[in-house]
Amino acid sequence: MKNAIWTNIFRNWQQTESKTVMTLKQVPIFKGLSEREFLEIETIIHERAFHPKEIIFKRQAPGEAMYIIMAGDVEIYIEDHNDNKNVLATLEQGDFFGELALLDNETRSATAAAIESSTILVFSQTDLESLIERKPSLGNKILLNLARVTGARLRKTNELLAVTQKESA
Amino acid sequence: MSTQAISHDPMLKFYRLVVGLLVVGFIYIIWPYISNVVTMLIFTFLFTTILLPLVDYLERKINSRGFSVLIITVVSITIIVTFLGSFVSNFVDQAKDFSVKLNQEEYISDLTNLIQEKLPAFDLNETDNQTALVSKIQGYVKSTLQNLLSMVGAVGGFLFTTVMVFIFTIILLFEYHHFKKSLVRFLPNKFFEVGLRMIYNIEHQISNYLTGQLLAAVSVAVMSIVGLFFLNLGGANLTLIVFIGTIAGLANLIPLVGPFVGMIPAIVIAVMNNLGNDIALNHVLFGITPVPSPFYIFDIAVMFLIVQQIDNNLVTPVLVGESVGLHPIMVMIALLIGGTLMGPMGMLFAVPAAGVLKVIYQEVSFITKNSHLL
Repeated sequence: MKNAIWTNIFRNWQQTESKTVMTLKQVPIFKGLSEREFLEIETIIHERAFHPKEIIFKRQAPGEAMYIIMAGDVEIYIEDHNDNKNVLATLEQGDFFGELALLDNETRSATAAAIESSTILVFSQTDLESLIERKPSLGNKILLNLARVTGARLRKTNELLAVTQKESA
Repeated sequence: MSTQAISHDPMLKFYRLVVGLLVVGFIYIIWPYISNVVTMLIFTFLFTTILLPLVDYLERKINSRGFSVLIITVVSITIIVTFLGSFVSNFVDQAKDFSVKLNQEEYISDLTNLIQEKLPAFDLNETDNQTALVSKIQGYVKSTLQNLLSMVGAVGGFLFTTVMVFIFTIILLFEYHHFKKSLVRFLPNKFFEVGLRMIYNIEHQISNYLTGQLLAAVSVAVMSIVGLFFLNLGGANLTLIVFIGTIAGLANLIPLVGPFVGMIPAIVIAVMNNLGNDIALNHVLFGITPVPSPFYIFDIAVMFLIVQQIDNNLVTPVLVGESVGLHPIMVMIALLIGGTLMGPMGMLFAVPAAGVLKVIYQEVSFITKNSHLL
């Protein structure tokens, strides 16, 4: 039988990685961070629960944060004037979206909504600014990763544009 | 029913009004019981806002928040204890000097002659009714004792509040980011991003205002000390000038009223030090003008007015700028309301509180206008 006192004393030693940290490790924006830095992010990141079909953010709304799916599915879509939904992407656990809000103050380019009950991590622009202020090396790592992700997406967009132009020509 | 239609529903408006009035009424009823705690929390928040940039800066340098808070705490305690200790010892010396001066026979007779000359109706030798005099003295002793007891109570209360605010501030500095996270947990998903922005704007508003005000207070303190030093060169015989300057700087934190409060200690000390000095009694403004300035009172007032003008027209606009962005009339109204509700303490908090309300109003009006985007 386990001794309750010893279990209690060594509880922290046996502590396993939290679900938040496990999710963060799947996101390229937090690539290359140390265990301690992941714990630092965990203390400031916000965990939010969304109901099925609940809107996370609407198109044209001011963007303040990026979202990381910890559990559940999310769809990104644009609605036309007749309320016809054009789904751009369906995202699942470990995916992230809205990351450009960390860099600029532009409005959202599409609407995001939970498909089912979802738990989503929210990392805001102010959280990033605070990290850059207090832990510059951690803040710089995140900024560099953000630049890499944005660059990769830009390259992909350019390739798609080139293919489209070739097809139309 | 669309969101727009819901927000214009007259029944909903009425319901909101009733709920609002009930909340205000409830706060009004329980206010006497919670006012002390609320005051402590407000002070805690203000001190945290002032010290937070320093803690964050140190954390960046030494990479440990715990040690950063510890260093700031030790340094703050050292500065406060050194300043207060030095102030108390200097003030006791000043009081001793004054009492020695008063005990000298010629000062008393001089003072008596002065009073009899200026106020002939005030008869100092009237001792006809001995019983009335004894009962009067007994009354004075009794009221003095009562005053002393209430003063001990007030000092005890003040010390308790100070210690609690200090402890709260240390905890909040250490846990600030975690505390903020716990606070926003209660926001509904719909208003989460807007709420984050509102908190950020409020933080910035208060932080900018407090930093600006503190720098302005330091500049007023330094200018006052320099001014008092020059008055001393002219023979004003002022002591404790560093403390007078510091009090003037601190009093400057209360807009409009503070500057006048700041000059009172200087005038009191000038009168105390120059009592019985005929040259000081017959002094004229700056020693050259025809305007009489007994005990350098008007010299001090003019010096403080000059300091205020420099502060108001040069220093504050640069340091504080439009950090709060309130119209001067709104500042005066906020001061009147703050003063009526909480006295001098209310006046100290009136402008930043009005600034916070302004940010909340701006964000709420933004939400109302863009409710279709939330």
